[in-house]
Amino acid sequence: MTFGLVAQTFVNGINIGAMYGLIAVGLSLTFGVMKILNVAHGEFLMVGGYMAFWLFTLFDIDPLLGLPLIGIALFLLGAICYKLLFSGLARFHEETKVKNTLLVSFGLFLIFPQVARWLWTGDERAITPVYSGESFPILGVRCGYVPLAGLLVAVVVILALHLLLTKTYFGKSIRATTENWKSAKLMGINVDRTYLITFALGAALAGLAGVLVGMTQSVAPDMGMQWTLKALIVLVLAGIGSIGGAFFAGLILGVVEAVSANLPYIGPYTVALGLVIFLLILMLRPQGLFGKEG
Amino acid sequence: MLEVNNIDVYHGDLQALWDVSLKVEEGELVSLIGANGAGKTTAVETISGLHTPASGTVIFNGVRLDKEPTHKVVELGVCLIPEEKGIFPGMSVLENLELGAFTSESRKARGETFEAVYRLFPVLEERKKQVAGTLSGGEQQMLAIGRALMAKPKLLMCDEPSLGLAPLIVKSIFEVIKQINKSGVGILLVEQNVRAALGLAQRAYIIENGRVSGHGDAKSLLDDEKVRDAYLGTG
Repeated sequence: MTFGLVAQTFVNGINIGAMYGLIAVGLSLTFGVMKILNVAHGEFLMVGGYMAFWLFTLFDIDPLLGLPLIGIALFLLGAICYKLLFSGLARFHEETKVKNTLLVSFGLFLIFPQVARWLWTGDERAITPVYSGESFPILGVRCGYVPLAGLLVAVVVILALHLLLTKTYFGKSIRATTENWKSAKLMGINVDRTYLITFALGAALAGLAGVLVGMTQSVAPDMGMQWTLKALIVLVLAGIGSIGGAFFAGLILGVVEAVSANLPYIGPYTVALGLVIFLLILMLRPQGLFGKEG
Repeated sequence: MLEVNNIDVYHGDLQALWDVSLKVEEGELVSLIGANGAGKTTAVETISGLHTPASGTVIFNGVRLDKEPTHKVVELGVCLIPEEKGIFPGMSVLENLELGAFTSESRKARGETFEAVYRLFPVLEERKKQVAGTLSGGEQQMLAIGRALMAKPKLLMCDEPSLGLAPLIVKSIFEVIKQINKSGVGILLVEQNVRAALGLAQRAYIIENGRVSGHGDAKSLLDDEKVRDAYLGTG
């Protein structure tokens, strides 16, 4: 491979990896804080993508400008889903809770695509603002405006999340709940409310990622599970509960996929490669690359 | 100040407490003693709102606690230091203390309370940047007490503060609890170390198999033949 191709592959990998990171961070948050494995995480992403599509085609709102609106809408959708479906399960013991919430989120995974098919038909949709195909060169590498914007959005959102979790009282209460929910209650933290907001925050992050996916690739009713799986791979790669780790693991997966797609023999099996990494990490380093031992 | 009236508490189908009643008056240091598994922890956790009694009432300064969630109980001024200490191991000492002052009222006053807690435990100030999980057992207990004080409690419940600590550290922990009580905070002390608990407390309740089997003046319980037989091993 020439230098140009290698560099181009890296840039592409980082761009898509930032999206993986953004998706995984949301999943990591709900799993870390609540021990809810939200299989329908990718469905929230799908809804976010379609909302951006609607805003763009019906109201002519630029998808990047629509991001805050979509974040808020998905936050509310997540809050409603949590309140109606998950909050009743929160008081169970951990094992029962993990099983039951898994079933409920599988239910959501079945319902959301049906509703989407009804609202938007089964066609693949792409969000294509005028600048979507354009790119600029740096050092002989083409860098698209849209992927670059996606990378920036992902970095800003994850930095903001990091600051929220480490600098504010509310963020600290989220981390405290993750570490020891009983003790968090004894500090006077309303743990039920923390759960609600965390779940909604996870949905909002997925929605934002959905906009980026809609801009760089496309949205379709059945797209959710594919992204949930990616997020799971990244989560296992990073280790549970590490926000920065999830982001970097996303970048790693993005680059590995982009590079392998250009290699002979391995190229066609890029998607499977992610799952191989998933298995290898589970076998060799179950706490993840950035997770704490034990 | 605190009145527990005839509570029955279940863990699922298993009844853990039968008809338990106890009282802590303003500024009093009361001890709850009994063997392992007698129901002492269940009793204080019920007061904190972690369990809901099937019958009976818990009243604190005229307010019913037994239907309130734990975070409301803390807001009203009742704090529990749980048996396993419950520190947040991955967060710094400072963050642990900050979380102690989570309720809005204690948060406003946290500048002063920080000073008071650091005065009581200078080691916490030295180690405020350190991750709490790396503290020694005794330091973790100090952190747990300091964190509870950050909430400015009116009633502090300590569940087995001596558990797993070296005798010398136990002595200093008990000394601190006595000081806290002298500053006007009511204390409900759960202990298996019956001799030490009775030495510290003004009054005590004995719990046996989920029932209160006796209560009275700590001094007279120390001299009581049955108590000496069962708990002090001096027969």
